[in-house]
Amino acid sequence: MVALARKTLIYEWRRFLPAMLAVGFAGLLQLLQLALVLGIFGSTSLYITGSSADVWVGYPGTQSVGSGRTIDADVESRVLMDPAVLRVEPYIWVDGDWRGPAETGGVSVFVSGIDPSPDALMFSKALPPSLRARLAEPDAVVVDRSVLNQLGVDIGQTATINGHQVRVVGISSGLRALGGVNVLCSLDTARELDEDPADIGPTYLVAKLRDPRQANAVAARLRGDTAFGPYTTWSAKDFARRSVLYWLFDTGAGAGVLFLAGIVFLVGAVITSQTLIAAVNGSVREYATLNALGVGVAALRRVVLEQAFWVGALGLLGAGLLGIVLMLLARSQDVPVVLTLPAVLVCIVLVMGLAAVSGLAAMRSLHRADPATLLR
Amino acid sequence: MQTATAAEPLRTPALLAENISKAFVSGQQRTQVLDGLSLSLDAGELTLISGPSGCGKSTLLAILSGLQKVDSGRVHALGSELGQLDMRALERFRLQHTGFVFQGFNLFPALSAFEQVELPLNHMGLSRNEARARAQSSLEEVGLAHRMRLRPSELSGGEKQRVAIARALAKKPELLFADEPTSALDAANGQMIIDILHRIARTHGTTVLCVSHDPRLVVHADRVLAMEDGRILSDWRTHAPVIDSKELPL
Ligand SMILES: Nc1ncnc2c1ncn2[C@@H]1O[C@H](COP(=O)(O)OP(=O)(O)OP(=O)(O)O)[C@@H](O)[C@H]1O
Ligand SMILES: [Mg+2]
Repeated sequence: MVALARKTLIYEWRRFLPAMLAVGFAGLLQLLQLALVLGIFGSTSLYITGSSADVWVGYPGTQSVGSGRTIDADVESRVLMDPAVLRVEPYIWVDGDWRGPAETGGVSVFVSGIDPSPDALMFSKALPPSLRARLAEPDAVVVDRSVLNQLGVDIGQTATINGHQVRVVGISSGLRALGGVNVLCSLDTARELDEDPADIGPTYLVAKLRDPRQANAVAARLRGDTAFGPYTTWSAKDFARRSVLYWLFDTGAGAGVLFLAGIVFLVGAVITSQTLIAAVNGSVREYATLNALGVGVAALRRVVLEQAFWVGALGLLGAGLLGIVLMLLARSQDVPVVLTLPAVLVCIVLVMGLAAVSGLAAMRSLHRADPATLLR
Repeated sequence: MQTATAAEPLRTPALLAENISKAFVSGQQRTQVLDGLSLSLDAGELTLISGPSGCGKSTLLAILSGLQKVDSGRVHALGSELGQLDMRALERFRLQHTGFVFQGFNLFPALSAFEQVELPLNHMGLSRNEARARAQSSLEEVGLAHRMRLRPSELSGGEKQRVAIARALAKKPELLFADEPTSALDAANGQMIIDILHRIARTHGTTVLCVSHDPRLVVHADRVLAMEDGRILSDWRTHAPVIDSKELPL
């Protein structure tokens, strides 16, 4: 079989270049947009995804990690009674007002009080063991590298949170928060910092299971017991998703992302289809000759679609390569970008869909390839 | 019409048009292009249609080859009535039985001469080897054996038209239609093209129908039809010297 579509694409690559660029940039934009959204809004579930707990226990109706209320500390014993549970530890969330040594004014901080023991669950994936150990000292805090300027401190310096003096004993990385600044300390320190006398218990209890795959079942089983006051349970995955979705829709970012994705798709499809249509028109007499010789319209359509496919595939390849470079660059600059396999698949589907739509549009202009017009 | 039926030839004609009419309507204006035209062509002959511009030569060719429908009348090609075939069946008919050579060469810029010829064969259900063998031999037949790997941009006008002929010829069609195949070429190249067409009619028994203004071509045709205003004015056979197939260069 003579590979007409591919040979034309290679020989007349200049003609197809705008389409490939349009497809490539559309793909790149979708990819970066998704990566940014996942990175920024993913940080709202960092508390969950950065920890190794399988089940979270918190106040009923909690929409995101940052909006929890205290629960009864005795729930801990109820959770521990479940044979599937390996370990339970409290997690205290305190909203604080930071005053640093430098002139920064008040900075709103999210204080995470966590268990400083080496086998603790909270932030086990985000906090190196040496840093965690330093939290055991009274009034010790760890802050993220990316917010040092914002907080106006450096390692070893002191500041106050809610009027209590704290000391920066370490600097973490990758612990950015949305709408505030994360500060990590021990459970004891966090209790000191909490000004609200009504807060007596922990904000959350997090549990590790013997078999993480049972997270949903155990979460369901632990729910619905009201003997210890109001509380509910989520599997870590559910709670993380809940947090991210809350932020996406609460901030309107979700709608923005969809809107932009639509625009990018539309613009890409217009440019790509125009280029492909021009390419079909440029060869319309040749196509008509083939049709005169008996090559069916269906076969000619396949040629056009195949061209669209290659344009999509090559555009995708370019977008992929450039995307990797840009992602690495973003990472090195502490820009929160995250790519997951489903996100990449979504991009591939969008780009190939764009190419397919353009191919279908170009296919329509094949009706001009009427062989009778060659006889005049 | 009367005389034609009286002198019924023994073999059935390859192409038979009975009382065909065709008109084009554009806006208020109606142009009667073909007006009750009848025609019968035998296999193995090169028939030339000549006539003034706009008299309907190309339209006749389009109708006889199944590219256009008639308003009234019937066209029989190789025993099939073209008017009864739907678009798919017409495509299949053309795939099996017809070749075309147009005034423009209509070659894909990206393909080599060999690939131009091979491409339609791929769609005929031939094996890869068979398609290549046919492409090879028909390019040899038009004298382009040494030019097979070149793209259209590297070929002369005459060579391009020969590639186009090879593309039609490789299908081994019973019917070969050519519309002004020489008008974009100089005299020598035009001469060569008409020679090739003539030879194809002789050696392959192909019915070749060629439209041309060019009076120099008349001597090469077996039969010349002069058209005017949608009718055939005269129909005469030439006594062109028969080219012996042994003389042909291979
Ligand atoms: N698709 C069409 N729509 C309207 N009119 C048409 C169409 N095709 C042909 N005609 C008209 O039919 C007439 C015959 O056209 P045709 O192409 O058959 O002429 P021709 O004999 O091939 O002329 P030439 O020698 O210049 O090529 C012309 O007057 C032309 O304007
Ligand atoms: Mg004409």
